[in-house]
Amino acid sequence: MATAPQSSLHPRWARAPFYFNSAAHLLRIGREQAANLQELLEAIRTCSDACIFQHTFQTLEEHHFIREGFSNDFSHWAFSACNEVELAERLAALDVREFTSIAALRERLVNIIETYLKKNPRSAARVAMEPFYLMAADVVVVPTPYVSRNLEEFADGLRKVSIHSIYYHFIDARLRLKLNNNDFSVWLEEELDMAQAADRLNRIDIYTSTLEGVRRNILRIIEVEIARV
Amino acid sequence: MENDKKPAAATTEQDLPRGNPTATKEDQARDNSNPSAINHTSPTGFRERRFRQTTLPAHFVERRKRPRIQTEPPPPPAPPRIGDYASIIGMPELDEIRFLARHLKGKTVKMVNSTAVGGGVAEILNRLVPLMNELEVSTKWEVITGGNDFYEITKGYHNALHGGDYNLTPQIEDIFLSYSEQNRQRIEFVEDLFVIHDPQPLALVRSKADTRGRWVWRCHIDLSNPHPGVWGFLKPMVEQYDAAIFSSPAFTRQLAVPQYLFFPSIDPLSEKNKDLEESYIDKVCDDFGIDRSRPILTQISRFDRLKDPVGVIEAYKLVKKYTDCQLVLAGGGATDDPEGAAVLQEVMDAAGDDPDVIILNLPPWSALEINALQRASTIIIQKSLKEGFGLTVTEGLWKEKPVVAGAVGGIPNQIIHKLTGLLVHSVEGCAYQIRYLLTHPEFAAQLGKNGREHAKENFLITVNLKRWLILFQILLGMAKPGKTS
Repeated sequence: MATAPQSSLHPRWARAPFYFNSAAHLLRIGREQAANLQELLEAIRTCSDACIFQHTFQTLEEHHFIREGFSNDFSHWAFSACNEVELAERLAALDVREFTSIAALRERLVNIIETYLKKNPRSAARVAMEPFYLMAADVVVVPTPYVSRNLEEFADGLRKVSIHSIYYHFIDARLRLKLNNNDFSVWLEEELDMAQAADRLNRIDIYTSTLEGVRRNILRIIEVEIARV
Repeated sequence: MENDKKPAAATTEQDLPRGNPTATKEDQARDNSNPSAINHTSPTGFRERRFRQTTLPAHFVERRKRPRIQTEPPPPPAPPRIGDYASIIGMPELDEIRFLARHLKGKTVKMVNSTAVGGGVAEILNRLVPLMNELEVSTKWEVITGGNDFYEITKGYHNALHGGDYNLTPQIEDIFLSYSEQNRQRIEFVEDLFVIHDPQPLALVRSKADTRGRWVWRCHIDLSNPHPGVWGFLKPMVEQYDAAIFSSPAFTRQLAVPQYLFFPSIDPLSEKNKDLEESYIDKVCDDFGIDRSRPILTQISRFDRLKDPVGVIEAYKLVKKYTDCQLVLAGGGATDDPEGAAVLQEVMDAAGDDPDVIILNLPPWSALEINALQRASTIIIQKSLKEGFGLTVTEGLWKEKPVVAGAVGGIPNQIIHKLTGLLVHSVEGCAYQIRYLLTHPEFAAQLGKNGREHAKENFLITVNLKRWLILFQILLGMAKPGKTS
């Protein structure tokens, strides 16, 4: 691996390297479950932050291979177990990238379901075809051997890491950073002064692409930058 | 030796029905007037011949009468090594497993169950224990012992925990506890982690106070509706463990200990699931009289009413009105189980003289043949009325097949309706979904692709290996959730 000069201002060398990590998850089964929408609403109000994270953010990783029709577990349950298509659509439209805190995400979920149940009160107690089980994940961060000090090494790392690493840096990072941003974009902007590329990368749509598709899109942007620089 | 259970097939080619027996005159007229509907090759490779029954060539008739079934178990293949999985899960994923294992180097694990051979748990441990040891997480596997009275009691507990009736008496409790005590005295508990599988060895946790290790109960059965008396007796023992593991959130009870979700898994390198040469699949189909030029619907399961094989035949008959297809019902359990034999007879009666219903009562060593049957299938069915996790569904998903399955037990964990397969609740629903898949091959192919990815992410042995490693780290305080390991 090339050795980066310390604090180099050369545009090809980052001021600080990017360390690729990954994350391994273990699902914990929670105590709460919901047999209807009213119970789901109560559960969302009271469950742990980890549960909200699991069923909105983490589920994107678990279903990373589905290109369309899957947004979060609440939406999927409203559709498949409750047959509440309108509610499912509203919940599916929720984009986790807009949230930098679980509290705000929880509030939005509660608001969507409350509004729907006010309009459709008979839906509240209608028994679902199968219960919703609230779960949370214990996450262990796993370092990888890949470190990037310039764009070429970054592209190489992106090609080699697992899909879990892409998820960890690109999606999971949003809550860690408490910003509408991701680890890759932050590094490009802060360590390589590449604000435009960082912005283009941050605008990749995670809901209409698989995580492999996200990886390809990121690589496309980086390869253009490599050619340009 | 040939299988003495004859499949429901016509005795001679001349006996075979000409034309679709369920087709109306209008159907037949339409069929005759539209030759383009015949022999149309679909993108999935099979030929759709709507409203027309194929005349079976003589060799198919002969094979269906006398399928070539292997009568002796083949020698067991060498177990795979951890590096062999790289081609399936990729090097980065394998590196992550190795990293997690490295942190546990020097730690010791003991797995305990009730049988060394036969049964799903022994099958899992036979694969898992060598892989853990290869990763230098020293793992021993111990099997408890007991007399016939002990195993009769634990079988009764097993059925009672699934909701069956049971008369639990103090004497029965004493016998259970006294055998547990004998095992407790015999087995050495010096490891860092103890994983106790299922209810039979549950009471070994009485040794916990004498050990420095952490104790985990791995429950492989569905506890959603247990017999209150039996569960009331066992629950205090479960709550002495440091954690409990279940196969589905639907199988759990409220417990005072943390509960984790470990989906059951398949081994992609086992005889049942490894890739096969197309020529071998052809041979197996030929041995069983299966025509690969027409759609093949397959349900693999033992002959058990809870698997609803008769319902599958009814669904097939509804499909057959529209598409010329074959149904393969393959499984075991009809030779040594009187109830299985009765169900097999019911299935043969339901099939009647339809030569395209191929019923195979296979011996337990037919993993390769089952693998080939699944791979030859156009659609995999698992129309269970009650189910544990349903690993035959997992096998179908892994083989990239569209799966139509009953929405029971652990199946909804595997099939996300319309995304990784299709869930059904009735014979009619099953038939409709099969018809839809047969006429929408691109959709069927997409379900198959998603299903394989879903299996790869959640239901492979390597995923479970990783889960164990994470759990061990968490229980031993080596990794705080959310913190760098």
